[in-house]
Amino acid sequence: MSSQPLGTRPELQVAEEKYSAALAADAQGTRVVFRGTVSTENPGAVLNPFVDAVHKHLLARQVTEVRIDLRELEFCNSSGFKSFIHWIQQIQQLPDAQRYRLRFQSSPQRKWQRVSLLALSCYGLNCVMME
Amino acid sequence: MTTERSVAELSDPQRRQAVGGEVIHLMLRMRPPWVFIDEIRRFTESFCACACPGANREAGMALAVHELMQNAITTSRGEDIDLVFEVEPRADRVSVSITNRCASEEFETLRDRIERMNREPDALAHYLEVMRETPSKDRGGLGLARVRFEAQLSLSAAWVGGRVTVRAEGRIRVPALHAIGGTHV
Repeated sequence: MSSQPLGTRPELQVAEEKYSAALAADAQGTRVVFRGTVSTENPGAVLNPFVDAVHKHLLARQVTEVRIDLRELEFCNSSGFKSFIHWIQQIQQLPDAQRYRLRFQSSPQRKWQRVSLLALSCYGLNCVMME
Repeated sequence: MTTERSVAELSDPQRRQAVGGEVIHLMLRMRPPWVFIDEIRRFTESFCACACPGANREAGMALAVHELMQNAITTSRGEDIDLVFEVEPRADRVSVSITNRCASEEFETLRDRIERMNREPDALAHYLEVMRETPSKDRGGLGLARVRFEAQLSLSAAWVGGRVTVRAEGRIRVPALHAIGGTHV
């Protein structure tokens, strides 16, 4: 499905040598697309500020759900995985009325994703969904 | 063993026949491997798919190699890191061991972390606890719990002559993981 980057705000997209992440829009609404391989030593230094910026953007628009597209994410190490935990923690700190859901899209070919998302869904009860 | 075609080209039944019940032992030594960590993970995944045909084990073992290797790089200070991958089909056992230089204090911290992890019999419960306790803004702290739950491997560590060996081992054939928790749509 084609999608367009949302706006030109630099904090809503990041790109390192091996991976990228960006907020995008398509016919189904807003989604965050992760691509590549998150395997650097400290990806949180890049991804946590990105997550914070996206979180702020979504709150300002009062969204109830955002899709997280991992289908082109080959791998994510545990340091990068912590950025998703960080995101869930940000949502869990909100009053109930402001909370939104993360709906993860995974690739059946990337078998680690299903298991990682299973654990993440247990951590983020009521705010993590898997397609 | 098939000699005219690589094992990767064979079907799962052909691979099982080719591999038979032989113990498969692979050893790699690297220095310094940080820039190659993705290649090592991909190689392990591919090798495991051939060595454990039909077991659907490659993603978990690749995950374990990546996480353990990443931990090793932090403490090895640029010295050799040895990786041993073993498959014992008759014993239904697969393992990966990573050996590297490690200061005694670092080993003690690692040993304490593994002992604490192993005191909790529920791998998912421990993993979720680590998620809650480990500051998301700090690097590290999650990898071992992730390997234990997601790759369904048990972990141990030993320290000999200034080098630590972290071993992750488990069954070749493991059940699909299910957990009561999040919403699946």
